[in-house]
Amino acid sequence: MNCTETQERLPDELSGRLDPAETAEVRAHLAACPVCRHEHSALGQTLSALDTLPIASPSPALRRNCYAMLEAEKRSLAPTRAAAARPSRPAHFSILRWILAPAGVAALVCGGFFAGTRFAPPAPAPGLDPATKQELAELRARVDSVGQLVGMSLLQQRSTSERLQNVLATLDQRNPGQKVIADLIGSLALDPSTNVRLSALDALYPHSNQPIVRSGVLATLPREQNPLVQVAMIDFLVAARSHEAVPALEQLARNDTIDHAVREAAKRGLAQL
Amino acid sequence: MLASYPDIRVTSPSFVVNSPSEAVDPATDTLSDHELMLAVRDGELDALGELFERHHGPLFGFLVKLTGQRTAAEDIVQTVFQRMLKYRHTYRDEGSFTAWMYHLGRRCAADYFRRHQATPAATDPADLQDHPDEAPHAGENAAVRDDHALLHTALNRLDRDDREVLLLSRFQELSFAEIAGILECSVGAAKVRAHRALRELRDVYFQLQKQKLS
Repeated sequence: MNCTETQERLPDELSGRLDPAETAEVRAHLAACPVCRHEHSALGQTLSALDTLPIASPSPALRRNCYAMLEAEKRSLAPTRAAAARPSRPAHFSILRWILAPAGVAALVCGGFFAGTRFAPPAPAPGLDPATKQELAELRARVDSVGQLVGMSLLQQRSTSERLQNVLATLDQRNPGQKVIADLIGSLALDPSTNVRLSALDALYPHSNQPIVRSGVLATLPREQNPLVQVAMIDFLVAARSHEAVPALEQLARNDTIDHAVREAAKRGLAQL
Repeated sequence: MLASYPDIRVTSPSFVVNSPSEAVDPATDTLSDHELMLAVRDGELDALGELFERHHGPLFGFLVKLTGQRTAAEDIVQTVFQRMLKYRHTYRDEGSFTAWMYHLGRRCAADYFRRHQATPAATDPADLQDHPDEAPHAGENAAVRDDHALLHTALNRLDRDDREVLLLSRFQELSFAEIAGILECSVGAAKVRAHRALRELRDVYFQLQKQKLS
């Protein structure tokens, strides 16, 4: 090993980072070379001086501040966690609801049909009188709403990803019918999955100029518990310039029990409206 | 837009470090730094308390020597742990916690130097205990303190990059592979920079000693 090779290895030799074979070679060279020995000694003195520098300790304030910061972060996460826990908590209720709701609706329809055929008077001939016509229209509306409920129950029996795909499929429709809009509002109001509710809200954005969409979102806002969806709904209503949302936003802005981010979003929204 | 809403995992708190005065859960003692940081990433924020206890001392020592100021070093340590919390989701499965911590420390220190480049540094009263008074000292203790002051001056005269690599290689028990990761360079380059920095320090230190004697 020559002087250049030895001097390249001196810092590693002094730090104990060389393997034994290289250490032996360096030491053999040092024994024979006064120039490298001088270099070795000077670097060794510098490192020794570095090692004797006192070890500084931080003040107790550092620990105090860091733990305070940690606690603050935990507190800020708590509402989000609670909201995230909400759908999973009554899982068995959700399952029961999925099974019982369609069964209940089906039983109601069958019961109605049975009672109707057995006890109802014979069907009137078409075009008899206006009162009967109105009654028929009301009955048809009720059957339609029962049909929607059955549809919603069946929709919720599907997996989350299937429901999500259903909602996303509506994004491609340029002029969706009122039924699609109603289904999207239904998903926003009733779907147990946060992602499905959020995607339903996304799908409603292009139709925010329709009063029924704005009032549907506004009606759903007080029922919503998840801060993510709440903030998204507030943004939606503000983007839609929905001035009728002002009282609801004022209520949210004053409510100390809800998530801080939601309150802030409500205040921001009020300022913009 | 949908992809930006991750599922938020809710797990039971297994690490209980609520305040500095409370004992650390013995379960955390057996976990490696990497395992603790993965727990923090997954929402067990209390695990950061154990990481703080393990690492804030060496990190503070590194930053005191790097900045030459205790108060600045404390601020930077706090910022490092703040960023660990903020960017916990970016911690990688195959990562080395220590390397990541010094990487963050280096970035925070760079921010500090950038902010204070234009403004003259005020004397930190906390630093005075580490430096000799204006009056001459008698005896060996004073000589040692003089020598420390001389070395501090020599360190401060190095380029910040040189000082950084020298401190990382000498004091933080890091391999050159880890240092290379922190400095974002090759292992060979990290080694060459550390050796060059040591030689530079030696030259400045000996020069200052000569000036003092003359």
